Amino acid sequence: MSPMRGNIEERLDALFRAYREAFPDPDASPNFMPHLWQRIEARQTFTFSLRRMAGGFVTAALALSVALGVYMAIPRSTQSYSPQSYIEALADAQPLDTPDIVGTVSLDLSDPGK
Amino acid sequence: MLVDFELIKRAQKGESAAFNEIVLVYRKRILGKISRLIARSEDVEDVAQEVFLRLYFSLDQLRTPEVFEPWLYRLTVNAAYDHLRKQRRRLEYRMSDLSEQQIMMADATAGGKVERDEQHKKKTREFVDSLLGEVSESDRILLMMKEVEGLSLKELEKIYDVNENALKVRLFRARQRVLKAFGSKEQ
Repeated sequence: MSPMRGNIEERLDALFRAYREAFPDPDASPNFMPHLWQRIEARQTFTFSLRRMAGGFVTAALALSVALGVYMAIPRSTQSYSPQSYIEALADAQPLDTPDIVGTVSLDLSDPGK
Repeated sequence: MLVDFELIKRAQKGESAAFNEIVLVYRKRILGKISRLIARSEDVEDVAQEVFLRLYFSLDQLRTPEVFEPWLYRLTVNAAYDHLRKQRRRLEYRMSDLSEQQIMMADATAGGKVERDEQHKKKTREFVDSLLGEVSESDRILLMMKEVEGLSLKELEKIYDVNENALKVRLFRARQRVLKAFGSKEQ
């Protein structure tokens, strides 16, 4: 590179200055502003759609919460619900003191000839 | 400040004409900074538009119009950094990597003074770009803002929102690395 005098620090500073001069501020193209506004509008549309979608989700979640709340608040009959354990329920259905296998056998003796 | 506070306040309220005016005033300056920061002329407008896009959507977060310029430069630094990070590449074809003979041939091809000047500028650009390739993208931008853009430590403090000592240390280290690369390339 051309600025080779002085110490290395000075030469580096000179190189940075030369770099600054090699890159003057460029002019924008005629499409700069129209493109910028297109990008702004595209982003706005996207944000708007996203907000609408998010709003829809919030409404749906709120409606579901209310529906669940109402469902949980309605008192239901306890017939189908037994506080017993499975073993207790089984024992009630088939008590051990009167099992089917040892129960009384009823014989029909009304017509022995047949 | 290139614009008055009133214009910024109007843009903050969503006035498109005011925002347009701000862009028109700062456009050239931002394009220049970006062209020096990223050294890719084909991407400069795209990154500059990204800066103004971010400005448009973040303008309402600006608390006081007094800090508008550091705010805009912060957006510029961030957009340039994002661009460099995305690309993660240096110039594939550097004049500094060419042999001396090739450079002489390129110079000979460039007949007139204008062409020779252009070649010289191109070589300077590519040489500096290769030196800055020795530091990270973020350090490259920091060094450029200080050494090439000529921003003071106080201004950088506002842009980066860190204290002066931390900036000094980081700048010193980045500069040392570039100096080392400069020394080795000179030999």
